[in-house]
Amino acid sequence: MAHLKTTKTDPVRTVLAILIDETQAKHTPDSIIREFRATADKRRSNRELLLLLESISCKRPNYRNVLDEIRSMLERKDPMYALLVFAERINGKFLWPSKTSNALSPLFDMPPPLSLSSRNTVLSGASSSDLLTPTTPLNSRSADENIDLCTMASTTSYGRRAVDPADSRADLRQIKQRVLNAVSTRTEPGYDKIVKHSKSGNKSVTTNGSSISPGNADKNASADDVWPSLVLADAYSRKTENGDHNHNAPPSNGLTEEYHPTLLWDYYKVDDSNSLCKQSLSGLPLDTQQNLILEDLIYVLNGVRGAYIQPLARDKVVEKYETRFTIHNELDKSLAELAQEILPLASHYMGIQIAISNSEGRGQVISALNAQLTVITKEYHILISQAEEELHENQLSLSKLQYYLQPTMWVLHAICTFVVEMQTNNCHGAAVLSLLGVHIKRLEGDKSAQEAIISLAQKAAAPYMTMLQAWIQKGIIVDPTREFLVEDNEVIHIYELPEHYSDDYWERRYTVRDKCIPKFLEGHSDKILRTGKYLNVIRQCGKRMMPIQNMNLKYDPTNEQHVRVINDAYYFAARMLLDVLITENDLMGHLLSVRRYLLLHQGDFIMQFMDACEDELSKNVDQVLPITLENLLGLTLRLSSARGDPYKDYVHCGLLTYDLVTQMSKIINPDEENWKTHDRLDLSGMECFAFSYEVKWPVSLVLNHIAISKYQMLFRQLFYCKHVERQLCKIWKENSLTKKFSPQSAELYRSAFTLRQRMMNAVQNLEYYMMIEIIEPNWHIFIEKMKKVENVDMVLKLHHDFLDLCLKNCMLTETSHLNRAIFKLCKICLKFCDFIQRSQRFFLDAELKSMVCDSSDENTDQSDSEPDISDRLQTESKMDETDTFGERVKRFDLEFTGMLITFLKQINDLAKDNTTDLFMNLVHRINFNGFYSDQMEKLCVENAMG
Amino acid sequence: MPSEIITLQLGQCGNQIGFEFWKRLCLEHGISPSGVLEDFATDGMDRKDVFFYQADDDHYIPRAVLLDLEPRVINTIMTSAYSKLYNPENVYLSKHGGGAGNNWASGYGQGDKLQEEIFDIIDREADGSDSLEGFVLCHSIAGGTGSGMGSFLMERLADRYPKKLIQTYSVFPNQDEISDVVVQPYNSMLTLRRLTTAADSVVVLDNTALNRIACDRLHIQNPTFTQINTLVSTIMSVSTTTLRYPSYMNNNLIGLTAPLIPTPQLHFLMTGYTPLTSDSNLSNNAVNVRKTTVLDVMRRLLQPKNMMVSTGPDKSNHHCYISILNIIQGEVDPTQVHKSLQRIRERKLAQFIPWGPTSIQVALSRSSPYVQSSHRVSGLMLANHTSICSLFERTLSQYDKLRKRGAFLDQFRREDIFKDDLNELDESREIVDGLVQEYEAATRMNYLEFSANKRDPKVDGDARSEEPKSMNSVGF
Repeated sequence: MAHLKTTKTDPVRTVLAILIDETQAKHTPDSIIREFRATADKRRSNRELLLLLESISCKRPNYRNVLDEIRSMLERKDPMYALLVFAERINGKFLWPSKTSNALSPLFDMPPPLSLSSRNTVLSGASSSDLLTPTTPLNSRSADENIDLCTMASTTSYGRRAVDPADSRADLRQIKQRVLNAVSTRTEPGYDKIVKHSKSGNKSVTTNGSSISPGNADKNASADDVWPSLVLADAYSRKTENGDHNHNAPPSNGLTEEYHPTLLWDYYKVDDSNSLCKQSLSGLPLDTQQNLILEDLIYVLNGVRGAYIQPLARDKVVEKYETRFTIHNELDKSLAELAQEILPLASHYMGIQIAISNSEGRGQVISALNAQLTVITKEYHILISQAEEELHENQLSLSKLQYYLQPTMWVLHAICTFVVEMQTNNCHGAAVLSLLGVHIKRLEGDKSAQEAIISLAQKAAAPYMTMLQAWIQKGIIVDPTREFLVEDNEVIHIYELPEHYSDDYWERRYTVRDKCIPKFLEGHSDKILRTGKYLNVIRQCGKRMMPIQNMNLKYDPTNEQHVRVINDAYYFAARMLLDVLITENDLMGHLLSVRRYLLLHQGDFIMQFMDACEDELSKNVDQVLPITLENLLGLTLRLSSARGDPYKDYVHCGLLTYDLVTQMSKIINPDEENWKTHDRLDLSGMECFAFSYEVKWPVSLVLNHIAISKYQMLFRQLFYCKHVERQLCKIWKENSLTKKFSPQSAELYRSAFTLRQRMMNAVQNLEYYMMIEIIEPNWHIFIEKMKKVENVDMVLKLHHDFLDLCLKNCMLTETSHLNRAIFKLCKICLKFCDFIQRSQRFFLDAELKSMVCDSSDENTDQSDSEPDISDRLQTESKMDETDTFGERVKRFDLEFTGMLITFLKQINDLAKDNTTDLFMNLVHRINFNGFYSDQMEKLCVENAMG
Repeated sequence: MPSEIITLQLGQCGNQIGFEFWKRLCLEHGISPSGVLEDFATDGMDRKDVFFYQADDDHYIPRAVLLDLEPRVINTIMTSAYSKLYNPENVYLSKHGGGAGNNWASGYGQGDKLQEEIFDIIDREADGSDSLEGFVLCHSIAGGTGSGMGSFLMERLADRYPKKLIQTYSVFPNQDEISDVVVQPYNSMLTLRRLTTAADSVVVLDNTALNRIACDRLHIQNPTFTQINTLVSTIMSVSTTTLRYPSYMNNNLIGLTAPLIPTPQLHFLMTGYTPLTSDSNLSNNAVNVRKTTVLDVMRRLLQPKNMMVSTGPDKSNHHCYISILNIIQGEVDPTQVHKSLQRIRERKLAQFIPWGPTSIQVALSRSSPYVQSSHRVSGLMLANHTSICSLFERTLSQYDKLRKRGAFLDQFRREDIFKDDLNELDESREIVDGLVQEYEAATRMNYLEFSANKRDPKVDGDARSEEPKSMNSVGF
């Protein structure tokens, strides 16, 4: 830059000299003054004068505003006065750019990559980064993200040049100041006036020869006056010549307000009526042209309108984030082409800026992303400012600039593409991260751009990963913007619902939001959900957690490190909760207890309890006193072999005032509201009785009320069968008296005995089937699997499966109506027992009577049990009971056998369709020696016939 | 406590097998010979209170009553290490100590005379239990005390405790060797009558089979009583294992026996056990070649050679199982049970009665953790099989031979019961014959219509008048 000789005598000349020096125009201060001093006849037209001024002041950012002012002034005042004002305006509002650039100039060159790298090693060693050198992408900084921007900028871009950081800051500030200045002209006090002036002058200009119809002067045309009509016309002609269809939109070259919702520069059309007239390019030498266009480019790259490069209006939808530019057509073609190649960078830059400003307040992920984008932008600014420095030192050429900017362009292109896709798909939260992943994949091969996106992804994922870490480390959800994949649905505090909470809690408290799962966590969402869930359960157990320390959860798209961390956390939590459940709360002990009481495994206890409760339970359910049962239970528990069981106090008595079928439907449709409203059936206590088992959290997680209900269903069926078996055993013992009887009467009773035996066979085999073939093997399998269990969900699933399998194979599912048949069979057995017990007295008496009748050789053995005369008389009157006895036994026989055969047949038919069920085993058991085969076949034939 | 069982040991044989039985029970429950619970057994989930009760000082006392008319065996017990185990008040020795002289009538008569003292003991024991389930009687049917006094006690118990179960472990005499007790057929016949009419279930322990098993299977040339009794005690302890280590099913005596006995008379049960190996040959060749499955055990249990009853060859091949209960102990997979049952059913490995449904019940039982068994799996079969009647037929024919000659009846006539006539003998024969007929009938489809006839001894010569067989003949 040449030195200026500032003559203090004439400030106007001085200003002009500076301007001429700046623009390298072919004028001298004196020649300009001469032009303005000339008399009106010799003088050039106002317009030519303005062009002259423009040519020398076009380097000034405010030249348009100034020129606008001058233009209006020329119409009213003396040209010389206008020149004075011009000098004053141009000078007064221009901050000299060269104050620091002088000091920097020897160093401020953008060295070619080779020399730079050598200097690098010499000056700053490894710590320096090549961030702003043209060969490296903007984002290659890796570790030092935490350094604040200022120091970062100084260390990275200037540190290696051994320059005072303050200088660089000043440099930066200078750029900004310039930009600010340009904007601030609007708000200056004198500005409004000037604008008004320009508005009035505007018309005259447009009427002069602009192709723009004056009709749309209001908004669109107001943009026109920025653009000298001459240029505008040229631009039009060029466009039409090229037939450029992209540009066939109305030639509003400013961007309207609606694109400008935020405080974004975005090529905002500054009312620059006072700026200098643009120099015509066509006459200028190539060097000057290049400098002018470079200057313009710097502006454009910063988002400010240039003099020769103007943004085109964007299509609202598609090109919201893309800016296209027109370049002054007078510019040399080669330069224009080069500039055109650089311009996409400006578009990318602006696209990113728009995206940033559009996505404010859309969640943590986007905020983090924007923060990183801002960092990148700042680096970009530094790069541009460096370019500008070089420009001021006249060391920049377009091709050089293009060379410098090329890598950045690729990177920004990649970023911009991503940002645009993100915006158009309206992504936020996890979707952003997923999209980043997609882009990383897509950029395979373009290393620098990929790295840029990777670092973006890392940054953007940081808040998400923090949430994730809080969740898998502590089970906490800190998610104000609802972006995290786990949702906490806590509605009710856990201790407020003592009965029904556990199962609901487990299933519903925490859920996964499917759309909030980033791609890279897709396969792990279940694990993540469970990890935190487990931790919460552990916490609710009142156990102090020792979360994994030093968890370093970061998302790095290049490796799967986060997966390892998640897995570690998951196994830790799972193991811990399992420990809590199994070791500390002795889940297996509880399960054993449940099996002992609810699955009748402790047979002697059940027997003893039945002994104790038989009288009470044989009453109608409404008359059974629960407190009596509870007392008897307590007594039995303490007297039987169950007294050693540490969990015996969890067992309680319950009377379920509905039958098994109702209970089944309740479990299947838990929402159905027939719990209370169902009609009370006439049930005995025996049918309604069930143990319950009440456990505390966290065992209630497994032994929740649904599980206990299922156990109870099994219990009721088993208990009832056991009851029937006991009754049959009782009459067996009573009947055994008849072994003393004569063979004739034995024959009479034999039909009753064999019927009893058939009943016993059926009931016992049913019990054996349920207990030995279903419950015990499944329990066995369940326990075996439980030994290898890894997490609580598996425990729940295994337990659930175990119960369901038992229920299904014990015919306790609603689909098979077999359990009704079982119930009926039991009923008829009980009726028969009742009948035998009642008739026992009679046939005993009858037998003794017959003994007395031919007591000739009767031993005196039975003499003590011989009834007295009155009894005998009574017996005689009931003698015909024996006739009916045989008949009644026969009726019972028919009824029972018919029912049993039907039952077996039903199972048989079911087994034909479904071979997986084990029902058939029961048939095999009951019909082990083929006793019922004929009858079953007969029934089959009958069915087939009719 | 629950379902208590009082064991009555009668006579030389009864006390000997009882002694072995208690020894075994103590071992299984971790109770020392003096009745103190061993330290390692304090947290067992077993049920000791079925057979034991606890004294004030917490030591365990068997619910056992030891009865004998001569002091030899009981003295041996009372000088053994287990002398402190028993309640001395429950040991009853006849004061004159002369024994019953292998005479059923003498034992029966002495039982009558001593009944007050004996029932003092029994009543005391019964009152001491919460819900007494029944009595188990150990005796032999051939001797004097066990058979005679046992018969008397059975009758009394049945009257006195009609609601309680009476089960007996009855040792039947060895038929292979000539007994030194010449009146053994009389004794057996008279006892069999009481077993038929007074007992609820009889577990038949056939000395013939036991000796044969000892010789053939255990390779003991001249098995001693102790060796035989060890076998018996194993049977006894395993058959009560579902009571002592309760699980889902068969955890009281009635639940165990009722399904096995369809009609009151058919209550004679055989037992089978596997594996049958003695400790001595275990060390030599007890190499378990393969895993023992439930099916293996059940199959072996169905083999006659493992049965503790020697029924002789079934020529007509018509005998069949009335019922079977297998108690299987050890590490078995419960999922195998059904498969094994199915296999046996398909292969028709067992023949069953045609007149009613029946099946093999399998009780998987825990076994004592304190007894180290060299076998992973062992099984006991309790079976009601019609071929048991061959045992009674043998007794009948021996009796008939003796009775025809009227031999050795003098010593019987000396006792009160035979003072007037020998009707008791003939009635007994008739009842046992009826039992044989019923068992035979149970092999046929028309068992339900069966009615026992009075049959005369095949070898006639008896004083009894010959009556034509008549359908109308009234029973006893």
